[in-house]
Amino acid sequence: MSIIIETSQLSKWFGEVVALNNINMTIEKGVTGLLGPNGAGKSTFIKLALGLYRPSRGTIKVMGGPPRNNLHVLRNIGYCPETDKFYDNMTGYEFVYYLSRSWGMSSMTARKVTEEVCEWVQMSERMHDPIDQYSKGMRQRIKIAQSLVGRPDLLFLDEPMAGLDPKGREEMFSLIRRLGDEGLSVMLSSHILYEIERVTDQVALLYKGALLAHGRIREIRDLIDQHPHTIRVNSSDPRSLSKCFLDDPGVRNISFEPGKLVLHTQDPNACYQKLNTFYLNKDKLVDGIECADDNLQAVFEYLTK
Amino acid sequence: MTEKLLSHLENIALWERPGHGGYLNALLTSFSQTFNTMLRRQRLILAAVVSFLPVLIPVMMAFFSLSSWEEDGRNVFIMMVEKVHINVLAPLLALFFATMLVGEDAEGQTMPYMLTRPIPRSSWVLGRFGAYLAIATTILCTSIALTFGGCTALSKLYFSQADLTLMLHYMGVAMAGLAGAGALTVMLGAMVKRPIVVSVVLLYGWQYAATAVPGLIDFFTIKKYVEALLPVMAEQRDNAQIIKILGSVNKELIYVAPMKALIMLCIIIAVFLGITILTVRWREYSAAKTLS
Repeated sequence: MSIIIETSQLSKWFGEVVALNNINMTIEKGVTGLLGPNGAGKSTFIKLALGLYRPSRGTIKVMGGPPRNNLHVLRNIGYCPETDKFYDNMTGYEFVYYLSRSWGMSSMTARKVTEEVCEWVQMSERMHDPIDQYSKGMRQRIKIAQSLVGRPDLLFLDEPMAGLDPKGREEMFSLIRRLGDEGLSVMLSSHILYEIERVTDQVALLYKGALLAHGRIREIRDLIDQHPHTIRVNSSDPRSLSKCFLDDPGVRNISFEPGKLVLHTQDPNACYQKLNTFYLNKDKLVDGIECADDNLQAVFEYLTK
Repeated sequence: MTEKLLSHLENIALWERPGHGGYLNALLTSFSQTFNTMLRRQRLILAAVVSFLPVLIPVMMAFFSLSSWEEDGRNVFIMMVEKVHINVLAPLLALFFATMLVGEDAEGQTMPYMLTRPIPRSSWVLGRFGAYLAIATTILCTSIALTFGGCTALSKLYFSQADLTLMLHYMGVAMAGLAGAGALTVMLGAMVKRPIVVSVVLLYGWQYAATAVPGLIDFFTIKKYVEALLPVMAEQRDNAQIIKILGSVNKELIYVAPMKALIMLCIIIAVFLGITILTVRWREYSAAKTLS
């Protein structure tokens, strides 16, 4: 297996805030999840790998070289940022075309590639609509499209599932798996283990800027499963929805919030699958799912003791 | 839906990596994209309207003047171009367009898209600067040409070779002013958080204060070198005005030869653009967000 990212004593601080502390890690080809609660240093790590930040101490090598202002490295990587920011007054097609040209392509190549990537992320039909009119899922897909224009060997996806509805998440899972199948190395960040679990079993666990664990997901998952997991489900009829979980052996507790059903479960995967089925079958009981990460926080605290 | 998506994806293979152009291609791409983007901006209309306002003055003078003497069109044209186009409108157009060439991406958090593209940062900055210069020059030179046309309605200015040469000379100076002010503001846009405020202070505050205060500090202004390029020694008139305003304060003026001024302006522009490129390479544009 070839190494795509290698760090040595990598640290980054902003003033007195330590974002990453002494990370020694090698990441090999394939799909890797960067897992950690908010503020763990996931985005900082990705930005260091992209060369958007300089390390305060230590080194990071991506595809064999330091990434900052290194055009050779940048030619091999793509980036889908977490922020939902786009250029003003652009259609999806114009956005991807603009960034394809900025990649260094000729006009004709950029046009061809833009159409191909838009088709790849299933945005061909809506690519000529203004981005302002896109749903969250469509904006996410067009951001991924722009990251694919250079046919990168390594793709960074910063919180790609954030804000997506269950259908959007399913599509995103499929897309990432497909990218992995195509031989791309993908590094995606998330604060939800079950999202990462859907696409890879390789994970790096960050907490408060430190690397807690790096390797197979199973061991971490076993730890997490010992803690009840909280899932908030947006629903127009939470009480009817709750009946579907009364006999579920994994569900430990059910409570209600205005317009929401709150499930405490030992078997979150089964719960997520059940909820996704309700959503995709158009039972109209599930409007959206919020994955609380407080139990993950508990696991991190447990691991750091 | 998921099965449909998967079957759709099965039929599409990922494409080959596209070819990557050289430096010139990156420069031209940056130029054309910025040019097209600026053409679509509403601020372009506002900038054009403001820039064309001076055209009305000679026209109004020709039709509504109550003076029993015919206005000297040549004097009016020189006054308009020197006082309004070069000293007010050129910095204003730099504020309108150049300040946001880099600053807009920094403020709009779209900088990571650009900084993760495999193109030289210098080509990106220079292409953008070139697009600003092309658009601002077109607006300002059109305004100068229309003002010239308006002034021919008065006396002593004609569509003769000499007067047209004078107009072209002023256009050249206006372009130098745009380049100088633009280089300063694009640098500020890349470096500071509120580039427009800092640019206004420097272009309209510092430059005028430095010209008025005794000593040699006016050498630290772009205005000094731009005015040295003017076809007539406008600074002599400025000097008289300043002495009149400041009374006893005497300012010794040291004139700069046009060629030296031109060389100095080129150095200033090169230094400012160089600092901008280094800033784009060096600065961590996402850091502010992370900290917040």
